[in-house]
Amino acid sequence: MAEFVGAFASSHAPLIARDWEKLPAASREILTADFTELGRRLAATRADVLIELSADHWTNFFLDNLPNVCIGVGAQHDGPPEPFMKDFQRSIPGDAAFAQHLAKTALDEDFEPSISHHLALDHGFCIPLAKMALPRLPRIVPVVVNNLEPPMPSIKRCLAWGKLLARAIASYPEKIRVAILASGGLSHSIGEPTMGAIDERFDRDCIRAFEQGAEAPLVELLDARMEAAGNGTHEVRNWVIAHAAASSRGFDLIDYRVMPEVYVGCGWASWQI
Amino acid sequence: MTDYWLSKMCYDLQRPGAGAEYRADREKVLARYPLSPEVLVAIRADDVAALAPRVNAYLLRFYFGAAGMTDDLFVEKLHAMQKDIAGKELGHG
Repeated sequence: MAEFVGAFASSHAPLIARDWEKLPAASREILTADFTELGRRLAATRADVLIELSADHWTNFFLDNLPNVCIGVGAQHDGPPEPFMKDFQRSIPGDAAFAQHLAKTALDEDFEPSISHHLALDHGFCIPLAKMALPRLPRIVPVVVNNLEPPMPSIKRCLAWGKLLARAIASYPEKIRVAILASGGLSHSIGEPTMGAIDERFDRDCIRAFEQGAEAPLVELLDARMEAAGNGTHEVRNWVIAHAAASSRGFDLIDYRVMPEVYVGCGWASWQI
Repeated sequence: MTDYWLSKMCYDLQRPGAGAEYRADREKVLARYPLSPEVLVAIRADDVAALAPRVNAYLLRFYFGAAGMTDDLFVEKLHAMQKDIAGKELGHG
């Protein structure tokens, strides 16, 4: 049987890649240290497969067909199309068998994800992978979560998705080690009149709720305040999925930094499994 | 209210080479889409405030980047919108 070996969260501000050389040295040091620690923790799990949760930033999907949850079932995924990510690998190995098992488990349990046999993984997926500098990249099973265009999945449904991921891992018959990485968040505002605003108070309340673990206060907080904390803040949905997958027992914050130089309240964390 | 064809144009500008083509000859690219007169006026005037309510904010940012506007100027125009919103709220208060 597959084993659930770790759940993690990481911000993915595109300027971390696009403007890396222009960032102050102190910012680069902080980012390097935090991604390195996240990578150390993920590498220690010896995960064979990494389920990665991220928004799709208008890379694979458009208004013609916009899934709320899409599972990437391809054996390979394309690397990021953004020019500022050109140095990252162009082809990223997936795990078609596990991804199909995840999709089937979801459908059997009355969830309705879409599936894609060919995804390009944009900066949302690839910045943490690139910056963690893992000695060995696990096979990536991407799960695109709509964090971008309303209507989006409810926080309550994200919790249900997390529990479903844990059940799908537990029911997979192959002896593999599976981890989860939630990419995105915390607060940020992109292309809105508040662009650049970071809601540190929201972020810290959010972190406290994840640390304490209980689901009801987390749902209450996010339902009440996530919308006002900036459009990018919707990516916290991915953290909620990872949280519930890890049985909502609370997480260990690696670091939180208000980083206006990349427009994002940046956080890194790992959950207690 | 989302404007589909404006959104579609912004989305299509992500294709390799599309931004350069747009910067070289805007009208040629605009002619490919059935854009409303109001949207065309706003595009030709680089009117961030007029376009913002009609397109996803991420696509709006991408559009103005592809059109050649610097991040700093784009943010400045967005923040001017925020001041207008705040002013109107005060006025109604």
